[in-house]
Amino acid sequence: MKTLLIKTHEVWLETMMAAFMSQTNSRQTLYEFSDILWRHFTWIEHELIQSGDPYDYDRDTIPIKVTHLRDVLSNLSRRLSEIDLQLIVCTNRDLAHRISTDLRYIEGVISRMSNEVVTAFDASRTIDRIALTQEATDALTLFLFEESYKEYELIMIYNYLKAHSDDAFLNRIFQILIDESFFHLRSFGSMMAEMGILGVPRVIHKSLYQVESVEQFLRDGIEEEIAAKQQCLDLSAAVSKESKELAAFFDFINFQEDYHVSLMREALDHYAQMKA
Amino acid sequence: MTELDQEIIDHMANPKNYGSIERPDAMGIGENPENGEKVIIHLRVKDEGGMPRIEDIKFQAIGCMTTVVAGSIITGEAKGIDFETGKELISVTLGMLDGVPAEEAACSEMVAVSLQAAMDTYTAKKADPDHGTITYKIENSCEVKETP
Repeated sequence: MKTLLIKTHEVWLETMMAAFMSQTNSRQTLYEFSDILWRHFTWIEHELIQSGDPYDYDRDTIPIKVTHLRDVLSNLSRRLSEIDLQLIVCTNRDLAHRISTDLRYIEGVISRMSNEVVTAFDASRTIDRIALTQEATDALTLFLFEESYKEYELIMIYNYLKAHSDDAFLNRIFQILIDESFFHLRSFGSMMAEMGILGVPRVIHKSLYQVESVEQFLRDGIEEEIAAKQQCLDLSAAVSKESKELAAFFDFINFQEDYHVSLMREALDHYAQMKA
Repeated sequence: MTELDQEIIDHMANPKNYGSIERPDAMGIGENPENGEKVIIHLRVKDEGGMPRIEDIKFQAIGCMTTVVAGSIITGEAKGIDFETGKELISVTLGMLDGVPAEEAACSEMVAVSLQAAMDTYTAKKADPDHGTITYKIENSCEVKETP
């Protein structure tokens, strides 16, 4: 089951990367499929927790640099077939059946998708045909690499916390933060593909999600959100002369972080009340 | 990080030697005591006539993208070299940090000391197989000092 979790983790991420690469209607379909594969991941994780088997979020690196979408789609088909064969280890037959039928359908649709030339790795470093200064381009590049990893990290951390918590109040907050990070990851990944600098977020270290103190994690997280807000503000200022739309996008992300901070403070208050 | 050229972008998109080695011969940790950022190095070592050689090396970073780039470059240099050359690599890296912007210096130092820690752990394990993983803390500050 642990291998099944790892393989599902990898195929979820690769499907999302394929969505970023596509510039046609296939993009939305691939997004939907990556969401389904993410749900598979959380269900397999639940089975592991129920059975008491140890697991983590380690995985292999995922090579995605291709020139044509067909190359990544073929790889996804191979991965989906391998996972289907591995479902034999899943003793929850209802779950195994559900995942298997999903995988076969997804594989069928993917095999019929049109080929496309992929520009997500051409390092053009331009966005919306806006001529940013070199300084603003570098700042945006660095921001996208840092924050796409950060959003992936937050998805995995909050998912781990949620998977190991029976507290409905906290789980509501964790789920909101997961959903928000998914939106941010998609936004940033999409921009990276447009700039030709797409990369898979690196593997996160166990110590980040197997936290000793959730409260300390939340306190540190609030500091990080405040720092991220400042980065968005700086970036908005750096690009505002060349693009009002891009500046407005970073302001929009910045204001979203306010609510994240508020939710994390609510979670901390909840811990304090539980202790009182 | 200043002036992002294509080589640096490649390291950010596809960091070399990122990850872990199953049952490594030694591990080492470099830590920034200011903010808890860390670099963890895993080594696979081949002992050739008393001179250990780094057969494989992997790193993981709990830190910023500058640390990832430094890890990608330094582990790329370290792969395949013996411990003597490894010490020279660490010494050269640390020697180059004067005049480097504070954040970049701290990140590169963290990778260099984690490599030193991994090699020292390997040597210590030779004498005592139960020896734990060595952690070294960095001296450079990651904080960018405001000029008055």
